[in-house]
Amino acid sequence: MSQDKDKIVKGIVAEFETVDTLMDACRTVRDSGYKKTDAFTPFPVHGIDTALGIKPTILPWLCLFGGMAGTGTAIAMQWWMNGIDYKYIISGKPFVSFPAFMPVAFELTILFASFAAFFGMWALNKLPRYSNPMFTDPRFDRVTDDRFFLYIDATDEKYNFAEVEKLMGDAGSAYIQPVVEDDSPKQVPRFIFMVWMLVAGLSAIPLLAVLKMRLTRSELPRFHVFFDMDFSPAKDAQHATTLFADSRTMRDDVEGTIYRGQYSEEIVSGKKVAASATVDDLRFVSRFDDEALSAAGGDRDPGGLSDEAKVELDADKKDPDNKESDQKDSAGSDAGNAGSASPDSGDAGAQPPIPDDQWLSEIPLTVDRAFIEKGKEQFNIYCAVCHGRNGSGQGLVHERARKILSQWWVPPSSLHQKSLYRDKYPDGKMFGTITYGVRKMPGYAAQIKVQDRWAIVAYIRALQETRRGSLDDVPADLRADIESAKLEAEARLKEEAEKQKKKDNATEAQK
Amino acid sequence: MSLAIPNGLDNTVERPGERAPLVLGDTTYHDITEAVCQVAERKPSVTWWLGFLVSFILLQWFGFCIAYLLYTGVGVWGNRNPVFWGWPIVNFVFWVGIGHAGTLISAILYLFRQEWRTSINRAAEAMTIFAVACAGTFPGIHVGRAWLAFWLAPYPSLNLWMWPQFRSPLLWDVFAVSTYGTVSLLFWYMGMVPDLATFRDRSKNKWRRMAYGILALGWSGSSRHWMRYEKAYALLAAFAAPLVLSVHTIVSFDFAVSQVPGWHTTIFPPYFVAGAIFSGFAMVLTLMIPARTILGLEKLITLRHLENMCKIILATGSIVGLAYGTEFFIAWYGQVEAEKFAFVNRALGPYWWAYWIMVTCNVISPQLFWFKKIRSTPWIIVVVCIFVNIGMWFERFVITITSLSRDYLPSAWAYFSPTWVDWSMLIGSFGLFFTLFLLFCRLLPIINMAETKATLAKQYHMSHDHAAGEGH
Amino acid sequence: MSEHAAPAIKPANDPAFKLPASLASLQLPLLAGGLLLLLVGFGLAYSNAAKIGFSAYLVSFIYCLTLSIGCLFFVIVQHLVRAGWSVVVRRIAELFMIMIVPLAVLFIPVLVATWMSNGLYIWTLDGWMTETVGVDPEIWKAKSGWLDPGWFTIRSLIYFAVYIGLAVFYYRGSTLQDETGQKSATEKLQYWAGPAAMLFALTTTFAAFDWVMSLAPMWFSTMFGVYMFAGAILAAHCVICLFSYLMQRCGAMRDEVTVEHYHDLGKLIFGFTFFWTYISFSQYLLIWYGNIPEETEWFWIRQTNGWGSLSVVIILFHWIVPFMGTLSRHVRRRPWAMAAWSGYLLVMHFIDVFWMIMPEAHQGITESITAVGVAGAILCGVGMLALMVGLVLSLAGNTKLLPVRDPRLGESLAFENI
Repeated sequence: MSQDKDKIVKGIVAEFETVDTLMDACRTVRDSGYKKTDAFTPFPVHGIDTALGIKPTILPWLCLFGGMAGTGTAIAMQWWMNGIDYKYIISGKPFVSFPAFMPVAFELTILFASFAAFFGMWALNKLPRYSNPMFTDPRFDRVTDDRFFLYIDATDEKYNFAEVEKLMGDAGSAYIQPVVEDDSPKQVPRFIFMVWMLVAGLSAIPLLAVLKMRLTRSELPRFHVFFDMDFSPAKDAQHATTLFADSRTMRDDVEGTIYRGQYSEEIVSGKKVAASATVDDLRFVSRFDDEALSAAGGDRDPGGLSDEAKVELDADKKDPDNKESDQKDSAGSDAGNAGSASPDSGDAGAQPPIPDDQWLSEIPLTVDRAFIEKGKEQFNIYCAVCHGRNGSGQGLVHERARKILSQWWVPPSSLHQKSLYRDKYPDGKMFGTITYGVRKMPGYAAQIKVQDRWAIVAYIRALQETRRGSLDDVPADLRADIESAKLEAEARLKEEAEKQKKKDNATEAQK
Repeated sequence: MSLAIPNGLDNTVERPGERAPLVLGDTTYHDITEAVCQVAERKPSVTWWLGFLVSFILLQWFGFCIAYLLYTGVGVWGNRNPVFWGWPIVNFVFWVGIGHAGTLISAILYLFRQEWRTSINRAAEAMTIFAVACAGTFPGIHVGRAWLAFWLAPYPSLNLWMWPQFRSPLLWDVFAVSTYGTVSLLFWYMGMVPDLATFRDRSKNKWRRMAYGILALGWSGSSRHWMRYEKAYALLAAFAAPLVLSVHTIVSFDFAVSQVPGWHTTIFPPYFVAGAIFSGFAMVLTLMIPARTILGLEKLITLRHLENMCKIILATGSIVGLAYGTEFFIAWYGQVEAEKFAFVNRALGPYWWAYWIMVTCNVISPQLFWFKKIRSTPWIIVVVCIFVNIGMWFERFVITITSLSRDYLPSAWAYFSPTWVDWSMLIGSFGLFFTLFLLFCRLLPIINMAETKATLAKQYHMSHDHAAGEGH
Repeated sequence: MSEHAAPAIKPANDPAFKLPASLASLQLPLLAGGLLLLLVGFGLAYSNAAKIGFSAYLVSFIYCLTLSIGCLFFVIVQHLVRAGWSVVVRRIAELFMIMIVPLAVLFIPVLVATWMSNGLYIWTLDGWMTETVGVDPEIWKAKSGWLDPGWFTIRSLIYFAVYIGLAVFYYRGSTLQDETGQKSATEKLQYWAGPAAMLFALTTTFAAFDWVMSLAPMWFSTMFGVYMFAGAILAAHCVICLFSYLMQRCGAMRDEVTVEHYHDLGKLIFGFTFFWTYISFSQYLLIWYGNIPEETEWFWIRQTNGWGSLSVVIILFHWIVPFMGTLSRHVRRRPWAMAAWSGYLLVMHFIDVFWMIMPEAHQGITESITAVGVAGAILCGVGMLALMVGLVLSLAGNTKLLPVRDPRLGESLAFENI
């Protein structure tokens, strides 16, 4: 104690060994009327605040305000950013969608409330505080280990060293000591400042650099960090490359590539083009195309239908069997239907925008079996849904459409009407119809390749042939097959008819 | 019975009306201080150095892979159409899940007054923070141009003139994970301050004293400080408890708000949370059981602690199992073609092996914890927990990859195969995690001394009362 | 250490553990009045339409059921975690828990309605789903294997068997201990708490799917069982809190249930309000965001035709108001305030159940719900609750109001919040 004599005494501290003796001492001190007291313990002691008369903290209120500030910030931020300042449609949700704003609102509520709890607690405790008179006594180090201390401040009204010493001694303390001022230098050591300034200075450099870049203009080209992201390593035509054995960057076309002009204008358009056609003529042809297109697609309303279509419509309305025949096996009923549906008025009175003689009358490609097979495949993919696989105009779309919008439905044409035979309807024209569409039928130029469109024309011709040809047209070696198939089909039809009859009888009998 | 208990007392048995001790042996307050401080004060053991070396090498490898990824582009991963959320997101969800145990132990068990949490909460919280650090890495590098990840923050940009879209669950995730990381850090640090003061007061070395002194903020143990400190701790616990639920809930929203079959199901939020707790506890046990033996902390981390954690693993594992079952049932009950397919595809499709690994590890293996013998045999616990960790990684794999690889458009179906970078990053993230954890063991108090002493004080008090009661 | 001494354990036959006479005298009025109200309410709603009558009945049944199974879960969890604090209020939960037995009898009208064509569940109406709603017959064929009156009845019986088995096991274990005072009784109950909790979770999930979710047969939500459970556990804590307060007001267990227990119940009520909000919000958000027609249908009905205002009422008064109200520690430490909030939340829980069930009642019938129907549903609910409370009181007259010889009673009495 001798060396402490000339120092200012801040108070008195007494050491205790157990929680219970400390608690007793606290109560004694409180009951003796001391106000400016404090206990120091290695762990929170339950009930010591009442024993010392410590008031509850306002921390919960800080947290409430922190939390409310968080909710408010989040809602206002999201409202402003997504509802007002930057309206952008995301997954069809309203700009201000509260359900979607809830998660962030919740997170910020928690974040702000936690900040309030954390920083509020340190602020209320006036920490960090590195210079504390309590730390002057080395014995006080044990407060974070296993000793309990009770402190009475010298400014307390009742403070009197001798009295307090006796009180503490009675309470069971073996070590009672005055607490003296912390006289260690108040200044923070220089080197800490140096380090701090160095770190602060260094960390400002990148920020300053960014700021400088932001605020100045430069004539120099941009600095590229990720070079290959800014400049794609694509090759130019004459560059050499290591990727291929022949070192050429330019490669041959992939097999099957069609280059512009590979097909003659005739093949592409389906129209006759004079052999000596000039570039201007070709331009004429393409202008012609546009006209044809507008003529074909322009009159979509039934009033503006071509006569051919009107006749078809009328025939459909007149034919009372049509509905029934739709539901029956279409193979059987097709022939009659097609016949009645297209009286041979043809397109005599029609005014086709392109005269028939301008169309190619023949398919300009080699027609062989493989070609027709290709046409069959393509027909079944693109055409059969409306026109039916047998070309009778009774495709699935038609069947369904009749049921649900029979009033307005323009049925697809039967391909077996005579007006569509080659003599009335040149191959080129049929190609043009597939390409540009007609009435309700859209053009298929985008879906079907040029050769395949011709192949479909070839297949349609073959289909038409099935209804007008005779057995004699069939090569001799295939006739037997067809005959047997015919017999089989007839037998099956008969059988089914009988079955139906029996069924009908049965239901009648039931009634 | 278990010989590990110093005074021969099996504290896994608790008769009704009595409470088994949580601190074993004739332990004094000073013994607790010694036991915990010696871990950081004595020279690191060979085991520690070995572990640190391996972890550190893996961490460097992780860093190299990230650099390679940034320089080359995300094509180095196995993420291909249609599986654009491949391993990085699986790893992200896996690590976030691990990160749930710490705050759960600190916050929810604190609110439920489960005193056995005191000796494990510090290490668990540290694991939380390290796991969140691992988790945060993955979406960060997954954005493609990682150096522009700051665009996710709602800051007034001078050249974009745009704001982030708060109607996107991925942005909710940014807020959820960063809030979680921040609050966990505050909670961890705040809980550590009194113990840092202990370290400060025990330091012989001037520099050490100064470093711990600065971190301890001048803590003196004053009752007024303790009172506010405890209040703040309780408040932070009350905030962290719903926060911990919200984080994995929002991670589950990333999946569940979409319409991908197998992702869009309402059970996801509670099921993800249960799964996260499940995996987190398994990771805590995997680390703490070797640590308690190597660091000599058996008196403080007793069999009772381990047993309680096993019970929580059993409970959450069963919840996860129930959720798997419910999902399957509703997929059938709902009779939506795509959903039915998604679940059949999980169990019997090309990833059947991942699904059955998941079920075996997550649902079946924790059922072993019904047996007390297994719950109180540390090495079996470790084995089961490693299985659980594997299973939980596979759960995220199954959810993310099976659903994406076969969704509505069959022409786009594909099989996901990871690249060596995927593998390296998964393993490398463990390097980051263990490096941080091993440093933590050396530098910071790994057990909450103050709280453990408070538990001991209560134990003294109770035995004192008991003795007094018998005297009457 | 603390400033005040814990109350001493009183002998088992102390009058403080007996049902107060003032409450005992309420038994008959409650039973008779409850039955009457139930019948009148059912009749009123039935006069609106037969299906509305049964829907109103289902509302009151599910309401009382959630109280009962919520208490069952409370009891199981207390044993599971070896809780000490809750011993003094556990008997109240046990009394409500055992009400699952009379509730099984009260389920009979629901079963009867299931066997009627569109009596309650729309899926019992032949051809409705395939023809009017337009569900693919193949899909409906698969579903109707599950939603079939016979199989539905068998499942309901299984659920009741599980619930009654668990309730009787825990009730008898606890009341027998009143006589014997054996510690082994507690050990036995604890031992089975784990499996019991799992069985409970499984049963509740499927019971919620069957009894409530199947009202909209094409709608599905994996979360629905959890949603029902969240409401049930919240209501159970409210019932325990309110009843403890009533008992104390009437003179029973005055020293035993302290402000600390109310504080703890208050914290749990606050927490479960939050949990309920979390579950219901998550369910809504996922369906709202996904925006798939099959799923949005359920919420769409509840956002239109006047149900929308009820939804807003639930958001405001089942979430925001009680959340703010019970946030403060000062409220939670005032028994009367907590009792008031509990009563309030029990009303809100009724509205929640009403909102879950009634919007489905118009399906397949021409009548719409009128004021008479709503009044009928409310009377039904009040009636069945009164009936249940009457039964609880008559049972309470024959037993102690708290587990007088539970080994942890002392701990519970001395319990203090930190």
